[in-house]
Amino acid sequence: MIDVQHLSKNFDELTVLTDINLQVQEGEVVCIIGPSGSGKSTLLRCINLLEQPTSGKIVYRGKDTTSSDMDIRQLREEVGMVFQHFNLFPLKTVLENVTLAPVLTKMKGKKEAKQFGMELLEKVGLAEKANVMPANLSGGQQQRVAIARALAMQPKALLFDEPTSALDPELVGDVLEVMKKLAREGMTMLVVTHEMGFAKDVAHRVVFMDNGSIVEEGKPEDIFTNPKEDRTRAFLNRVL
Amino acid sequence: MGRDIFMSTALLKVLIPMLLSGLKFTIQIAILGIIFGFFIGSITGYVLQWKSKLLKFIAGVYIWIIRGTPLVVQALYMYYVIPKLLHTDMSSYTAGVIVISLNSGAFIAEIVRGALQGVSIGQKEAGLSLGLSSRQTLFHVIVPPAFRSMLPALCNHFIIIVKDTALLSIITVNEMTHQAQIYTSMSFLYIPTYTLLAVFYLALISVLILLQKYVEKRMGAKK
Repeated sequence: MIDVQHLSKNFDELTVLTDINLQVQEGEVVCIIGPSGSGKSTLLRCINLLEQPTSGKIVYRGKDTTSSDMDIRQLREEVGMVFQHFNLFPLKTVLENVTLAPVLTKMKGKKEAKQFGMELLEKVGLAEKANVMPANLSGGQQQRVAIARALAMQPKALLFDEPTSALDPELVGDVLEVMKKLAREGMTMLVVTHEMGFAKDVAHRVVFMDNGSIVEEGKPEDIFTNPKEDRTRAFLNRVL
Repeated sequence: MGRDIFMSTALLKVLIPMLLSGLKFTIQIAILGIIFGFFIGSITGYVLQWKSKLLKFIAGVYIWIIRGTPLVVQALYMYYVIPKLLHTDMSSYTAGVIVISLNSGAFIAEIVRGALQGVSIGQKEAGLSLGLSSRQTLFHVIVPPAFRSMLPALCNHFIIIVKDTALLSIITVNEMTHQAQIYTSMSFLYIPTYTLLAVFYLALISVLILLQKYVEKRMGAKK
């Protein structure tokens, strides 16, 4: 579904990604782990073109996303994103946050969007907060709203950029619970995370990145119990 | 004694209506000035933030000229020079509104730019990543919090504009200060006239300050 080929990304002189190759199949959950600054987030951001790749290409459902005739809005509708810092719209209520994009893109009428928005809030366990302002929610609740907001566009895949890294430890569980539910429903997910437990339980495949390249990838049980590369082993020893 | 009483009734009967008619113009010009100024300032501020080098250059020159010359000189130029250059007539009122608008536009541009920059890049990315166009992201995601954050500065600028209109007396705009000048030139009653003029301004500005406080309080409460 998503096919990253020889992707490199530089910011001026700084090389952030070198020759990344990664395939994500429909319905697959792939977790990307690795130390800070290893380029994990940049890889995600290249996939929905918040960053332009310097070289290489990303093929989404057979289409080269970097080609000039690619409909970037269409791509972003189909590949949603959840951010580390939630980025909810602060002056809109929880429900308005969820319904804004479907209404503006004319995907749904107002009424229909509201109804669907409520279903999504129900799903993330926050239906009773529909008319609350985001600032009055905890971080974990905000992130669940952000997930509902991304789901409102009925995406075919979701990118998660360290969705629990900005949360207090006791709030992480609820967010992971929602993500597990999505995974069980067959959502295609690419998740940058430091939650090794989540990666172990939910991921079909784990990718270890360091220093801008993919060091190792494989089934979670292989990566976590029997890593082949020294760098992977060293990293896992530090975090587990 | 009798003369003084005559003077004070004349003062009330003539001066106060004159000041009130001037007040009408003062408020009118200030309101038009903040509306047009906001319009000009929004476009300029937006251009400063994002768009092409050429537009940025033009915006920069505009701000440079406005900030680099006194308002009085701008008013004189707009009233006496521009119509000559364009071979047209311009009323002092029109010239006054244009000068105040252009002047406030340049200052509001900086307010707008600051407010736009104050909205985190994450907001923009959230909008884009939902499949919104950059235009939709600008108007539905970035502008609402930016406008809210610049409201106090805009209120403040409105107060400055109200006071700036007094300078338009130099090109004979019939605002409050000019009315007071006309009255003193007839009556030579400098002390009561200018005292009353100052009191009128103080009262008007006080109302605006209260309004500003109210706006800020409401904003604080909503957050």
